[in-house]
Amino acid sequence: MSQQDSDTVQQRRENPDPNEQVKPLPFAIMLVIAALFTFGVVYIAETPLNLPGTWGDQRVLADMAAPVKSATADGAALFAANCVACHQATGLGVPGAFPPLAGSEYLNGKPDVTIQILLHGIKGSITVKGSTFNGEMPNFGARFSDAEIAAVATHVRSQWGNKGVAIDAAAVAKGRDLTKAQTTPWNGGQDLEKYR
Amino acid sequence: MNALGMLLSAFVIAILGLMFFIWSNGRSLLTGGEEAASEIFSAGEVGLVEDPAGTPASRTRLQSSSTGHAQVGQHVDEADILARIESDKSTSLIVLIMMTAAVFWLLLASTFGLISSIKLHQPDWLTGSMWLGFGVTRTIHLNAVAYGWAPMACLSSCIWILPRLLKTPLRSGRWAILGGAIWNISLLAGLIAIATGYNSGLEWLEIPLPIATGMVVGGAMVGIPLLDTLGHRRTRHLYVSVWYMSAALFWFPVLLIVAKMPVHVGIEQATANWWFGHNVLGLFYTPLSLATIYYLLPKIIGRPIENYNLSLLGFWTLAFFYGQVGGHHLEGSPAPAWLITLSIVQSMMMIIPVAAFTINQHMTMRGHFRMWVHSPTLRFILIGGMMYTLSSLQGSFEALRSINTVTHFTHFTVAHAHLGLYGFVTMVMFGAFYFILPRVRGWEWPYPWAIQLHFWLVVLGFGLYFTALTIGGVLQGLAMLDASKPFIDSVTVTRPWLIGRSIGGGMMTLGHVVFAVHVLAMVFKLGPKRHTQALFWRDAMPPGLAPNLATQPEGAAS
Repeated sequence: MSQQDSDTVQQRRENPDPNEQVKPLPFAIMLVIAALFTFGVVYIAETPLNLPGTWGDQRVLADMAAPVKSATADGAALFAANCVACHQATGLGVPGAFPPLAGSEYLNGKPDVTIQILLHGIKGSITVKGSTFNGEMPNFGARFSDAEIAAVATHVRSQWGNKGVAIDAAAVAKGRDLTKAQTTPWNGGQDLEKYR
Repeated sequence: MNALGMLLSAFVIAILGLMFFIWSNGRSLLTGGEEAASEIFSAGEVGLVEDPAGTPASRTRLQSSSTGHAQVGQHVDEADILARIESDKSTSLIVLIMMTAAVFWLLLASTFGLISSIKLHQPDWLTGSMWLGFGVTRTIHLNAVAYGWAPMACLSSCIWILPRLLKTPLRSGRWAILGGAIWNISLLAGLIAIATGYNSGLEWLEIPLPIATGMVVGGAMVGIPLLDTLGHRRTRHLYVSVWYMSAALFWFPVLLIVAKMPVHVGIEQATANWWFGHNVLGLFYTPLSLATIYYLLPKIIGRPIENYNLSLLGFWTLAFFYGQVGGHHLEGSPAPAWLITLSIVQSMMMIIPVAAFTINQHMTMRGHFRMWVHSPTLRFILIGGMMYTLSSLQGSFEALRSINTVTHFTHFTVAHAHLGLYGFVTMVMFGAFYFILPRVRGWEWPYPWAIQLHFWLVVLGFGLYFTALTIGGVLQGLAMLDASKPFIDSVTVTRPWLIGRSIGGGMMTLGHVVFAVHVLAMVFKLGPKRHTQALFWRDAMPPGLAPNLATQPEGAAS
């Protein structure tokens, strides 16, 4: 072969350019198509689609929260949904940011102080187990029924080695009535002294 | 009519219409396709088997399967070889430039990927400067792969293959060189912008709008010669690779322009973002890689593609379904339920094109799997093809709400993305480089052992990468779903798996360095001048292959 051929040896040794044979579609692929088509129809039909058209960016957190049934309030579920982000599932809180619930003097003492914290929240300095925290706790008085506050209070007072007595809805109702004039969060630990 | 009725009827009508369209194509009701498909079988082509693992029996099968095909090696149709040589000459410069650029981006992207990976388990490493923060290194990794390595490799393969299939030289190739230059400069500018903290804040679309405009212009200029060549083709029938390539060249600019238009806000923005993010994989890298497999696989084993009708089904269903699947990234978001449901269903429908391709590839390969021992190209593209099947099936099921609940927002998704873009696209492109570069340079790969080393480093490295990250991702997802565990548990549980990922990623990066050095040797024709193609295990080749190896053109020795 010539010198020119040697530059193109790679091209010369190749197979022909590819092409295709014409055959009917395999039966298996027909089955796959039929099965997936059926799946698609069933899946669309089974999925709830008629959700409000206004759902979009206008939704707020409350729209998506599961409806809360007050009659059978579940303290553990309420805690998992509302408290765990700050106080942690371990009840130890986050050092320097969120106070612990485990072993907290506010939970192992009189029921009133637990109820009042949940009803109105706290904004200001509070000392728990020797550490001082300067944060903010939201109030649950408006969002939770008496039974729900009682359930979550009883839950946190009985977990992680806490030995606080159980609280019922009637006690919460009494506490709510007692402080109905309070419109702002409690100003830290000092405001709470009178309920301890 | 309610949303359910509208969605259901639209789905049923669309699928029936699509199937009728594909059926009519196969029956040549719209074109003369069927007859054109068989007449392409050219009489008596060159017969030296490129990857000489074919047995005499396979060659007999090849002949019996195509009427009019002369005894292999007996009659050489010189005109076809000259057309091929002419095509290769017209594309060699641009392909060489783009492949070199691709390898540069591959190295850069691997480096930044590895840095990001290590940072996930050594968070205090390299924290001195802003541009070495995780948020930047990961973004640079993503963009260097998505707009550097993958498109440069895919486009160079496309530019090299299209003129060959159209039996004509590449026309107005200068546009592609200029376009490629603009693209690469824009990408470099985009990465610098990202490193200095100037980005659009949307994943996959981080490069700021003014710079992205340069990429759109550059990409369009690369498309000009391919369209021009398509218009001046000398064949009647368009081979399946041509469909995928021309469609991808049309889809990509549409995707980028629409997604980059500064008109999307709120939930629409997220929808457009993921419509783009998923489609750039499915409607750009995937078709170009599939086109490369559809060309190289039959080329190497010397058999025609098994079934034209499967190719048709695969192409049109991919084209139809893929554009609608991006919404599955928004499960759990406030996007409308019908949109997400449609995306999930169409994600599952993607099993159709995947099954069509897989059956086609398997039936074409049947009886020839031994060849993968010897041929580097076949090794990479076969693995790539298998990973396409795997990643697509995984993606389809991952879209289901029941599985997405666990895997969303975990490393599982990252593993899946790499199965597609690395296991599939990158592997196929490695194979394409090993096949194309010797023809571009007229020079054989100097070190076959380096190909072996590259192969095992990236395959084992990626195996480790994928396995570790998948397991870590599932554990992370389960920990996040468990309300009794604090969030930090879902982070710490992944640590050993992230270290495993870094080791795998390190092996892959090492493999890329081997590959890059080898490519550099090719570009400058360094190393020993070899006279035979780079194949593995010659000693173990079946005796039937010996004549082919002996038939080296004498001119090569001069």
